[in-house]
Amino acid sequence: MDRTQFLLALSVALFCLGLLGVIVRRNALVMLMCMELMVNGVVLSLVAFAARGGGAAGAALVFLVFVVAAAEIAIAIPIVLLLVRQRRTLDIGAYADLRG
Amino acid sequence: MDLLTAIVLLPLAGFLINGLFGARLGRGFVSAVGCGLPLLAFAAAVSCYLGLTGGDGAPLIATSYTWAVVGDHSFEIGFWFDRLSAVMTLIITGVGSLIHIYSTGYMKDDPGYARYFAYLNLFLFFMLLLVLGRSLLVCFVGWEGVGLASYLLIGFWFEDPEKARAGKKAFITNRVGDAGFLLGMFLLYHALGTLQFDGVQAAFAGGAPAALSADLVGILLFIGATGKSAQIPLHVWLPDAMAGPTPVSALIHAATMVTAGVYLVARLNGIYSHAPIASEVIAVIGVATALFAATVAVTQTDIKKVLAWSTISQLGYMFLALGVGAYGTAVFHLYTHAFFKACLFLGAGSVIHALSGEQDIRRMGGLARRIPVTFATFAIATAAIAGIPPLAGFFSKDEILWFAFASDRGGSPLLWAVGAATALLTAFYMFRLLWLTFLSPSRMSEEAAHHVHESPPSMTGVLVVLAVLSAVGGFVALPHFLAPLLPVPQVGAGLEDYETPLLVVSVVIALAGLAGAALLYGRGPARADALAARVPRLHRLLYGKYFVDELYDALITRPIKWVSSVVFLRGGDRWLIDGTLHGLAALAQLTAGVLSRVQAGGLQRYVLLAGIGVLACVAWVWRHV
Amino acid sequence: MTETLWLYAFSAAAVAGALVMLIARHPMRVAVALIGTMLSLAGIYAVLGVHVIAVFQVLIYVGAVMVFMVFVIMMLDTRDTSFVARYSHLLLPGLLVAALLAAALGAVLAHRIGVAPRWGAGGDFRLQPFSVAFLRDYWLQFELTSVLLVIAVVAAIAVIKGRGGRDG
Repeated sequence: MDRTQFLLALSVALFCLGLLGVIVRRNALVMLMCMELMVNGVVLSLVAFAARGGGAAGAALVFLVFVVAAAEIAIAIPIVLLLVRQRRTLDIGAYADLRG
Repeated sequence: MDLLTAIVLLPLAGFLINGLFGARLGRGFVSAVGCGLPLLAFAAAVSCYLGLTGGDGAPLIATSYTWAVVGDHSFEIGFWFDRLSAVMTLIITGVGSLIHIYSTGYMKDDPGYARYFAYLNLFLFFMLLLVLGRSLLVCFVGWEGVGLASYLLIGFWFEDPEKARAGKKAFITNRVGDAGFLLGMFLLYHALGTLQFDGVQAAFAGGAPAALSADLVGILLFIGATGKSAQIPLHVWLPDAMAGPTPVSALIHAATMVTAGVYLVARLNGIYSHAPIASEVIAVIGVATALFAATVAVTQTDIKKVLAWSTISQLGYMFLALGVGAYGTAVFHLYTHAFFKACLFLGAGSVIHALSGEQDIRRMGGLARRIPVTFATFAIATAAIAGIPPLAGFFSKDEILWFAFASDRGGSPLLWAVGAATALLTAFYMFRLLWLTFLSPSRMSEEAAHHVHESPPSMTGVLVVLAVLSAVGGFVALPHFLAPLLPVPQVGAGLEDYETPLLVVSVVIALAGLAGAALLYGRGPARADALAARVPRLHRLLYGKYFVDELYDALITRPIKWVSSVVFLRGGDRWLIDGTLHGLAALAQLTAGVLSRVQAGGLQRYVLLAGIGVLACVAWVWRHV
Repeated sequence: MTETLWLYAFSAAAVAGALVMLIARHPMRVAVALIGTMLSLAGIYAVLGVHVIAVFQVLIYVGAVMVFMVFVIMMLDTRDTSFVARYSHLLLPGLLVAALLAAALGAVLAHRIGVAPRWGAGGDFRLQPFSVAFLRDYWLQFELTSVLLVIAVVAAIAVIKGRGGRDG
């Protein structure tokens, strides 16, 4: 197994752990953090390919992903805050209104 | 545009003008157009007749229009004017015009005046199409059209549901007959490749073509004729048709439309000459209908209903003549019947008008002095129908009875005997009508008696003309005139000697009927009622028209209604169609209900499902890439 | 080689951090675990030679995003029902799906990427060359992301300020 393959395996592991965290953890903030973990896993795979020979394109893309992740967290946290202000709990089970 | 087409189109123009503009243009205009155009058509018909007889006797032909070309068959709308057409056209336009003139007086106060004349002209148009048509196709168009016009006119006062129902009954009964007509037409076309009358006649000139069963075609076409001409078993609509205005009854249900069946058989005499079974069927049904109707007429109490049953009976005579091969004689009786029956109906209309709407003869009587012109004309027409010489009816009826006895094409003493019995009954019930209406002491209500008045000249004038024609019309030797076209049947061997004795018997029968009626009804219905009370069941049977209507209701109408309601409405429509639709909708709702449980609002569940989706995608891509 | 050893060490740390994230009860501990994972990842990037990204990982991700997250955790009272019952009712299905997904992706990895050729040299990932290349070739994307950031700012303000019309 060469370096790239190893790093990709790590990336898969982080991604799946993050996905698991989103599904199983009940705290809204912990869910957000697990989503960040997923993004990190993907970024790792990007960097692995960039280091392998992708050049500046990979790195530039990673940089832009950082910006987007920052913007995303800037919005997600206020939304969680508003939700908490209403229902006074971080438990995600209390927010089941998006039903069909 | 030649004269022949003009005869047909003039009444159509009348229909369009009166129908579209009549209501706005006032009574005078409507009368002028409504009566004037048929009179013009009559004049044109006379002109054509003179052209026919003045020339070499060849028929006038006019082809107007090619209707359809299907492959190498083409169907044209053409008109044909030979002697038979001439007789029919002159009767239709002549008697028709007279009845139009009568209507100006009779329908004077009716709000639907313009509509009435429009429909009447429409009827004339279709009737002329029927008799002038060169092919069975054009004839059929006219056939259907007169059915339509009849429906419109029977149900003229449609606000009364009874009258509307009578119109519907007429139309539907006719339609049943038309099914037979259509089948006959199809067979004929299939075998001969043409529907034109001259073509059909030519095909049958040398005997029946092998490809065709002339009897079958004959019977099928006769079924159509029973519908239109009110023979058993499709006679049920004619008595109910009396719901329409009396001039309509005179024109359509006495003089012209009901004779269409007679015209059809006479026109297709080529077929019937070679269809012995069909001819026998026609003769038997004709004479049976004649007797049947006469027995019912003896008991009826509505003046128009008596005349309606009388019409059915006289039509039976015409078919009897056709059945034994005396085609020309049948047309002769058609011709005389048009005069005296129209006169009788219009006379009845005059009586009804005089009595402000009373139609029950039990409440009439004593009118002879008070409405003399009506009485005189009615009496002459009654004598004509009873067969008293030398009035018109005597000649035609006697000739029919003679051929019923002596024709070598099916004449038999039995047919004669039934015909003679019917003649006796005819004379009897017609004079009964005359006595009860005019000559017996008055049984009118005070109110009605006070208002009795003679009808206006527009009505009485027509009555006089028709009475004169009833008197002298018999002297025209019509069968002789038509002989080149409609062959006179041979007399059976050794039977010539019976002619004079049978003639005497006919006269005796007529006078016997007169005497019987005078005796029984001279003082009013009391004596007859006492007689009827002694045979209540017979009287009830006859008065109830042998309960044929009730029979049809039970056998046909109710089952059809049941099938429609249960099988088609509840079964087919509600259970099957609606059920399927509702079932599909319920299925969709059920599925949606099940599937929507997936979206219960839990965010993590959605993520899980997305994860499963990703897993599936990865697995699939990996296997297939 | 030392490089590989560092790689293994940092990878182990990253996975450990991720596992702690899944198990810890208090959100603050989760946050600290995440920071640890991110720092390990930064280490990996540095080992790989992608220095610029390693630095940005620490500056932006840890320095801004996680700080914000820690700030919010400290602001909110986190001892509610989700503290007591950590896991949702989808624990077992979630484990199953995550394991299957990892297996599927791992199987793809094991098969696919083995001896694929390199298509170019590693590239210069020091700050100056990177910036020049970035702003020369990807200036459009750069500008667009600044627009995105403006939108994010506006949205954040709208979310906080417009609470009258939003009912959660």
